[in-house]
This record gives sequence, C-alpha cells and structure tokens, in this order.
Amino acid sequence: MTELHFTRPVPVRAVPEGTRPVVSLKGITKRFGKVLANDSISLDVYPGRIKALLGENGAGKSTMMSMLAGRYKPDEGTIEIDGQSVRFTSSKDAIAAGIGMVYQNFMLVDSMTVAENVLLGQEGSLFINPAEMEKRVGELARRYSLDIDPGARIADLSMGERQLVEILKLLYRESRILIFDEPTAVLTPEETGNLFKALWNMTEQGKSIIFISHKLEEVIALADEIAILRRGRIEGELDPSLIESKAELASRMVGKEVLLEVNREPVETGRTVLEIKSLTGLGLVDVDLTVKRGEIVALVGVAGNGQKPLVEAVTGLTRPPVDTVFIMGHPWRKFFAESTWNRSMCYIPEDRLGLATLRNQNLVDNLLLTTRKGFAKGLWLDKKRAARDTRELIEKFDIRPGRIHALAWQLSGGNLQKTVLARELYRQPRFIVAEQPTQGLDVSATEEVWNRLLEARSMAGVLLVTGDLNEALQLADRIAVIYRGQILGVLDTADADTPSKIGPLMAGVID
Amino acid sequence: MWDFLIPLFAATVQSGTPVLYATLGEMMTEKGGVLNLGVEGMMSIAALAAFWTSFTTGSPWLGFMAGGIAGMVFGGLHAFVCVTCLGNQVVSGLALTIFGVGLTHFLGVPYVGLAAPGFNPFDFPVLSQIPVLGEIFFKHDMLVYFSFVLPVLFWFFFRRTSFGLHVAATGEMPAAAAAAGLKPVVLRYFAVLAGGFMIGLGGAYLSLAYTHLWTNGLSGGRGWIAVALVIFAFWRPGRAVAGAYLFGGVMAFQLRLQAVGTNLPSSLLLMLPYLLTILVLILSAWRGRRIDAPAALGTNIEPEG
Amino acid sequence: MLKIRKRDEPWKWGALVVFLGALLFSLLVGGLILAGHGKDALHALDLLWQGSFGNAWALEGALLKAIPLFLCSLGVAVAFRMQIWNIGAEGQFALGAIGATWMALTFPDLPRYVLLPLMFIMAFVFGGVWAFIPALLKLKLRVNEIISTLMLNYIAILLLDFLVFDAWKDPASFGFPMTPEFTPGAVIPSIGNSGIHWGLFFCVVVGFGLWGFMRFTRLGFELKASGEGARVAKYAKIRYGMLVLFVMTLSGGFAGWAGCIETSAVLGRLQGSLMVGYGYTAIVVAWLARLEPLNIAFASFLLAALRVGVENMQLELQIPAAFGSILEGMILLTVLAGQFFLTYTLERRQGGE
Repeated sequence: MTELHFTRPVPVRAVPEGTRPVVSLKGITKRFGKVLANDSISLDVYPGRIKALLGENGAGKSTMMSMLAGRYKPDEGTIEIDGQSVRFTSSKDAIAAGIGMVYQNFMLVDSMTVAENVLLGQEGSLFINPAEMEKRVGELARRYSLDIDPGARIADLSMGERQLVEILKLLYRESRILIFDEPTAVLTPEETGNLFKALWNMTEQGKSIIFISHKLEEVIALADEIAILRRGRIEGELDPSLIESKAELASRMVGKEVLLEVNREPVETGRTVLEIKSLTGLGLVDVDLTVKRGEIVALVGVAGNGQKPLVEAVTGLTRPPVDTVFIMGHPWRKFFAESTWNRSMCYIPEDRLGLATLRNQNLVDNLLLTTRKGFAKGLWLDKKRAARDTRELIEKFDIRPGRIHALAWQLSGGNLQKTVLARELYRQPRFIVAEQPTQGLDVSATEEVWNRLLEARSMAGVLLVTGDLNEALQLADRIAVIYRGQILGVLDTADADTPSKIGPLMAGVID
Repeated sequence: MWDFLIPLFAATVQSGTPVLYATLGEMMTEKGGVLNLGVEGMMSIAALAAFWTSFTTGSPWLGFMAGGIAGMVFGGLHAFVCVTCLGNQVVSGLALTIFGVGLTHFLGVPYVGLAAPGFNPFDFPVLSQIPVLGEIFFKHDMLVYFSFVLPVLFWFFFRRTSFGLHVAATGEMPAAAAAAGLKPVVLRYFAVLAGGFMIGLGGAYLSLAYTHLWTNGLSGGRGWIAVALVIFAFWRPGRAVAGAYLFGGVMAFQLRLQAVGTNLPSSLLLMLPYLLTILVLILSAWRGRRIDAPAALGTNIEPEG
Repeated sequence: MLKIRKRDEPWKWGALVVFLGALLFSLLVGGLILAGHGKDALHALDLLWQGSFGNAWALEGALLKAIPLFLCSLGVAVAFRMQIWNIGAEGQFALGAIGATWMALTFPDLPRYVLLPLMFIMAFVFGGVWAFIPALLKLKLRVNEIISTLMLNYIAILLLDFLVFDAWKDPASFGFPMTPEFTPGAVIPSIGNSGIHWGLFFCVVVGFGLWGFMRFTRLGFELKASGEGARVAKYAKIRYGMLVLFVMTLSGGFAGWAGCIETSAVLGRLQGSLMVGYGYTAIVVAWLARLEPLNIAFASFLLAALRVGVENMQLELQIPAAFGSILEGMILLTVLAGQFFLTYTLERRQGGE
C-alpha cells in the first residue's frame, strides 16, 4: 500500500464528559424505488472530532449524508441538530443549520469564477460587484492560507484546486459540521496529506467533520471514531486505536472474512498488442508504452492527468498523430479501417450505462452492439442466434435478472459490468482496454471481474486503467504512472519497493 | 446616397426591434437552461393579445403589457411541461408554436384588417438633433427607445445582481445551484417566464408599432430567427443587438427593393432573411464557440428524493 | 405529502392511457374555447365526430389525408430516433412536389409506367437533398439542424411560390398561380371506383419496408443503437456521420414522396394550396406514435380524421381551420406533460416526521 503523508498530532481524542452531540440521526430510513438505501440508521457526531463513515461503494454512505445536507429527504426518522429536531426542505435549510458538504463530484459551475462559486447563494445583497467579490474571497483564502486565485475560472483549475474551492465555500458559510464525501479520490498522496492536516486543524477549532471513505488506511490514520456502514445499516462503531489489523476492519466492512486478494500466476508473454511511440498531443507528452499478450499493464494516476485522452486515442474515439499508436502491429489508421469484430481489440469503458450499453434496449441488442458483424447474414441480422447466445452468456456469467428482455438500465452496476465483460470476452479479444473495471462494484463482483481479466491473459494483453492502486498491484505485471500527460515511470510489480514508488510519481516527484 | 441609406438604416432599427426583444427573451430562457422553440407561437399570440387590448381599451401601453403577459403565460405552459413534467424541450417548444400560431389565426379572424391605437414615432428630445445618428436612431416610437436600454438591463442582471448569478448557475449546473441552497426549479420557471414576457413584448411591437393593424402571419418566422440569433450572439446581449439589426437591415432592404420595383420576383427577395439565418449559423459555428452555451441547456432537472 | 418516485418497471399500457387522456383533455379544452366563442360546443364536437368518422365519405377523406401525413411522419420519426431534429418535413414535402412536377411538365407525353416512377425518383431526390443539406451542415459545421431545417421550410415554400407565380405558371390559368394540369400519365390512378388512390398501397409497402428494415437489418440496428447518442455509436464503431446523412436523406425522401403523391393524385398540378402544414402535423403524429412505424399508421389516420372533422366544422359553423392546429398543439403538449407518469409515479410519503 502507498504510505500516507500524515501522522495525527495526538492519538484518538476522547469525548469530554457531558458533551452533547451536535448531530444526531435517529432511525433514518431512505428508499429509492425498491432499493433500501438506508435502513433505520442512528448516528451521533460530536464537536471537535472526526467521524469516519467507512463502507463499500453502494453501502449507503453518500445517501445518508445527502440527507443531512438537505439534498434528499428521509422517508422515516429524524435529524437533530444541537438536540433540536429539524426538517430540511432543501440544501438551504441545512446550510443555515451550519452543515456543509463537499460532494464527491464537485458542485462547482465550471464557467464561473472561484469567487462566484464560493459566494453563490451567499452574496448577501441583490447587487453584486465581481471585483469586490473576488476581494472578499481572496481575503478568506489568505486567512486560512489557501493558495487560490479568486478570479480564476473553475474550468482552468486542477482537481486539487477545485477541492480547495469547495472547502472555501464551507469556510465562508462558517459551517460547523463538515461532510467530505470520498475527498481523496482525486488527490495525489501529497495533496491527501495536506487535506488531512487541514481537516485536523479545523477540528481543533471546534468543527465537527464527517469523513466518508472506503479506504481503510485513511480512516485509521485520521478518524477519532469509525462507523461502519454495510448494505444501508450501521454495522458497528469502533475506536481506531483498538483496531488490531486492517483485515479485521475490512472483514467488518464487507461482511466476509477476506481482504480481497487474487492469485496471479504469471503467463508467458507473446506478441505485442499495443505499442505507443513518443505520442505527443491530445494533452499527452512523449508517451511510450507497450502491452504484450499475456500481461496486464496498469496505467495509474490521479484522475484527469491524461488517462482519458490516452484511452480515447487507443480505442479509436479520437485520432492520434500519425505513427504514434500501433495496435496488434498495425498503424492506428490501418487497424481501425480494417478491424474485425472478433479476435481484435475490445474496450471496457468506465461509463457503463452511457457508453458501453444501450440503456433503453434489451440484453440481446446490447450483445449485438459490438458483435453485430458476427451475426450479420448479408444485410440481415440473425436475431435468433443472438438471443440464444445471450441466454448462454447470462448463464455463464450469472447475470441477473436472468432474462434476455431485461433493459440495460434495470440492471445493477455489477450485473451491467458483467454484461459488458461477457460481451467483450465473447469477441475473443487479443487486446483489452479496461477502464476502472471494478469502480462501484461489490466485493464478489470485483472478484469475478478480476479473475476474468486474469484469465483473459491467455489470449490477450490487457491495458488496465485504474485509480485503485490495490487493483493495479493485485492484477498488473507492470504499472505505468501518468502525471500531466507524461508517463513518469513504468514499474515492475514484482519489485518490493514498487508500492512506495508509485505515490511520489503520481504527484510528479521524480528523485 | 444618404437619401437612400439613412431611411434604410432607420427602417433597419425599426424592423430589428421586435427581433431584438424576442432574441433577448429567448436568451434569458436559455441562460436558465431551458430551450424554448415556441418563440414563433408566443410572438404571434402576444401580437394578437396586444392588438386586442389596445383595440378594446384604446391604450397601447396596456396592449404592450398584455403582449408581455401573453408571452409569459405561454412561457408558463412550456415551463410546466418541461420543468415540472420533464417533457422533451424541443418537442414542447414545437407544440407551443403549433398551438400558438393556430390560436392566433383562430382568435384573430374578426380583427383582420382592423386598426388599433399604437405607438407613433416622435423625435427624441436633443438626441434626434445629432446628424445622421439622430436620424437613424432617435426618430422612432417609444418601444424602440426602450429596446435600447433592454440589453444593458440584461447585462446588468446577469453580471451585477446575485439573482442573475443564480439563474445562470441553474443554466450551467442545476445540481451545484441546489447544493448552494438555491431552488433550480423556481429559478428555471423565472427564466422561462421572464423570457416569455420579453418575447411577448417583441410580439406586441409587431402589431402596435410595426403595423397598427391586424393581419394574419404577422410574425412571419421572426420567432425562429430569434432562436437562431441567440446562437449567433453566443448568449451575450451585445451581440444580440448586432444580430437583430443585421436582420432588420435585410428585411428593410428587401422591402425597399420591392417598393422601388425590381425585376426580381418578390418571393425570391423574401427568402433573403431565411437564407441569411442559415448563413449566420454557419459563420458562428465556424468560429467554434459552442462552449458559450449554458452547459445544462436542453436537459431537464430530474427530481431527487 | 406526495413524493415523486421513479418506476422500477415501465408502465404497461401507460403510453396508451396517457394518449387517450390527452386526447380527451384537449377535446374538452377545445370545446371550451368554442363555447367561449359563442358556439354550441356539444354540437361542434358532434360535427367533428361526424366529419371524421360519421360516414364512409368522411373515412375516405381521412384516409386520403392520412397518406401524406403517414409518409412525412415516417421520415420525421427515423430522424427523431437518432435524435436528429428534422423539423423540415414541410419543406422537403414541397421540394418533392417540385421535383415530381418538374418531371411531369418536362416529359408530359411519357407513358404512365415510365413517368410515375420518374416522378417518384425525382421527388425522393429533391426531398432528400433538401434534408441532406442541413445534415451536412450539422456534421461538418455543427449548424443546429432545428433552425436550418426550419429556415429551409420557409425557403422551399417561397420557391414553390416563385414557380407557380412565375416560372411554371400556366399561361391559360387566367392569372391564377398554378402550373398547367398534369397529363394523365403523371396522375396516380384511383383504386377501382373509390376515391382512394394507389398511393395508399405505396404507403403500406413503405411502412412495412421500414418496419422490417429497422427490425431485421444490420443498418436498422445501427440506426436504433445510434439513437442512444453519438458517443455510444462511436464506441460501437458505427459510422455515425454516414448514418446521419443516410437517415436525413431517407427522412427527406419520404416527405418528398408525400409531396409527389399529393400533387399527382390529389391536385393534378402544382399550386400553393398544396401546402397545408402536413409537415408540421407529421411531427405531432411521430411523437404521439412514440416514433414506431406501426403506431404512426394509426396516429396519422387519427390526426387526418381530426383535420377532416375540423373541415366539416369549418363549413357548418364557420370555425377557422386553425382550430385543427389548436387541437394538435394541445394534444402534443398534454401528451408531453403526461409522459411524466411513464417514468415516475407519485406516492404518499410514509411517516413524515
């Protein structure tokens, strides 16, 4: 695992006798359709402390906090602030009650300036003056020694800077209860350390912090108390200083006695399936990368450092400069002009519902999406055979609900990803590009996807683009680290010091 | 030469004015994130409402307001279908046009050929004495003068008031507006209603100032031209003025040519503004400024639990 | 207190319920408008019904009007399916009529079995080109197709005006703006002794052809898949640009055929009265039919019947023909609003406190 650049100044802080919680959730229940997102949750948050909400993706952490932030309304239960029962009809009420939330997907208007975003809804008067607004926000940033230009447009900022803007919002509103939803997902290890210091300082000033995460080491390092959420219920609350091992925490989080690890037997490598030679442009700088059959090469980096353009160029969504990308030995142009539906390249994108599947069509049509040439008889499509093969794949991959007429949008994240995987492997690919293949999946689905990708090495080379370092370390033979469009290093997973080298490279630090 | 150009330019300002009102109205609507293709229908019904009110009450000012209100009511229909019921914005706008144009023809029958009190040109004190410019800009009716102020108000609203900032935020990213404690649905209603009011004023201008009598098909595609001009203007009021007068110029020119009498058949001359619209869109697309469109334009706000 | 909830399963029959509800509501409001106008609303609605479905003659009239509507709607629907907003059926219809007329006037003496196919081909080409232009502008220059197709409608109608007032005007028409009457070889004949012409048969063939195309061919599948967005199409290596050009040409060609049939079979010459807004009604039809070819057949018949019924009211009660547009617009607006209930449902908020 990568190391954290943070050590807490004091051990876990005790709650002084007689302290009343600032926030109490009592029996909160929330349903989305048939899905029970939160099941009678009760939780107390004390002033001056960091409470971590630990849980897997889909455990209901964000839903619960969105209710506290006034975005959703609970179906049952009450929220108490300072012992008073409150009902939020919108975010406005929550803001007024001193609650501020930094959402995982930043709630910032790209085309507006930092100052406008920070003051949105808090301008204080009908008439506004951009120069004066920038001055106000600039002063605030200086007071908390945050380095940011209040006149800059959000679109021009990095992810780390955008997070500062979100924090500025909370500071400006003088929120007392701060909620951070997976705040480190877009940060380098270095930036994560800085964020943690800032969070700690804020609690020293008496603010309460709720820290949502699924990363064990972060939670252990930072929190004063940990609440574990599983399948919409509070699984238990515990004191980080009493935790004996990460495995123990993990097993409580996932409900199984396993911390996910897979066996990776090396496979003999074969011909080169992807070769990138000094690719510059599209936001990339002098990128060299090769992938051979039989290996998994992971591309890791903080989101937004050039992974997207690289994947788009490789998968044919955008056109790279001439003679930079070669797939299965052919120049890019020739490959995409002649590529066949099978024994070729396949792409498992991050955006499953918007890009990889037809959301309003059934599973047969979704199978046909990339395999249609294999079912074509002249102008016609052999729909009978397509239905039969869909049925077989549903069985083989245990896709639920097991009906070929189910529509893509009705499937859960895990089943949708299995559908995509089933289809793409059906094409017997020689080269696979898998982008965040397990994001948002539960443990069993993740395990399934990992094993399938490892199996696929016998016929294909895999380029795995992931933000999950554990995934990269578990699956990949080599790990390429990308920073500002540049590949700063390709590390061998077998080397013992690889895990500790990744972090600095992700932050652009080369020794 | 000047004898031909000055009246031409003056006529340009006059025929550009209704388009300017409508363009600003549509721009307001779109700034809030709602595409309204009902402009043509709204201008039509507003023209009739304005005419009828002025005809019955004898007050063109009441008529002018009635036009705005009619536009607002139609805007409200669109907002209900799209913002509340999450209907497709493109189709709803088209339906609104079909409905509005139909209703105008239906209700307007008894008034065809009748005249109502309208707005008359007068020399604006002092300013009309400026050579050339005074002739072109300051010998019009009150509504033209008011249209000079409107783009400035529009700019001021979005750049210098917090409410304008809220509306723009809703058009860019409704979720961010909601997280900031604003009410995107209410803000969108405001944008559509206020925009509808301005579009209605544009319609009222047609029947109360441009002509003083009622005829069918008064709008004549101006609503659609306004929709196109919003794209041309990159959602900025200053460029909307330029665009509106460009069209006013072509319409005035084409009328003048017909009046002078040329060998060209009138139907071919009448094509000019429509051809120009396509041309203008090609030119603005060429400059590749699509990013200026409000990011959430045309997408509805899904209700959250 | 009520809360909005997204449906887990689509509402079966919901679309039909919403449609009928919208129809009923619109007729009700339409009746109120008539009542406000000093007419006897019940009598008027009865006339509407009698005019649409009351007798064989009315049904025949509806069927006749359904023919151009059906073809235009098919065209609109294939474009809408790809989320290409072709609002230009009206203009493409006019161009089709112009193309067909050009052939009819240029080769008046050709036998029917040569001349009619020639007219149909030219109508498809003219209508297709009129739609191809905005498609190309959209692809190459990202020109908004809604505006460009609409502007081309105005231009097409003015072009038609120019032709009938000027270039192709019949010298023997006593100054009326119309072309000379077509020779018999350029006129689509009637089926037997009925008032229905063979254009109906053509519609059936085209309708089933398109249905089969969408359902059973690879290109049809690619079209359906692209309907979910250009990004998915690109992911699936579908040649989206080519498909847009193809679909728009097809769309314009269908409208062009409608123009050809209407000119040849109904008017027998080109004249301004050809343009009665089928191209716009076609948009209403296509959306009401949820863009499905077979539904379009029903919906176009229904709206055609509405038009005939309104004509009947117009004759008897001196109600302006625009009453038809009012109803059409209102039906579409209410259907759009009602479609909310296809995706969402309202339920009582449990507990609350």
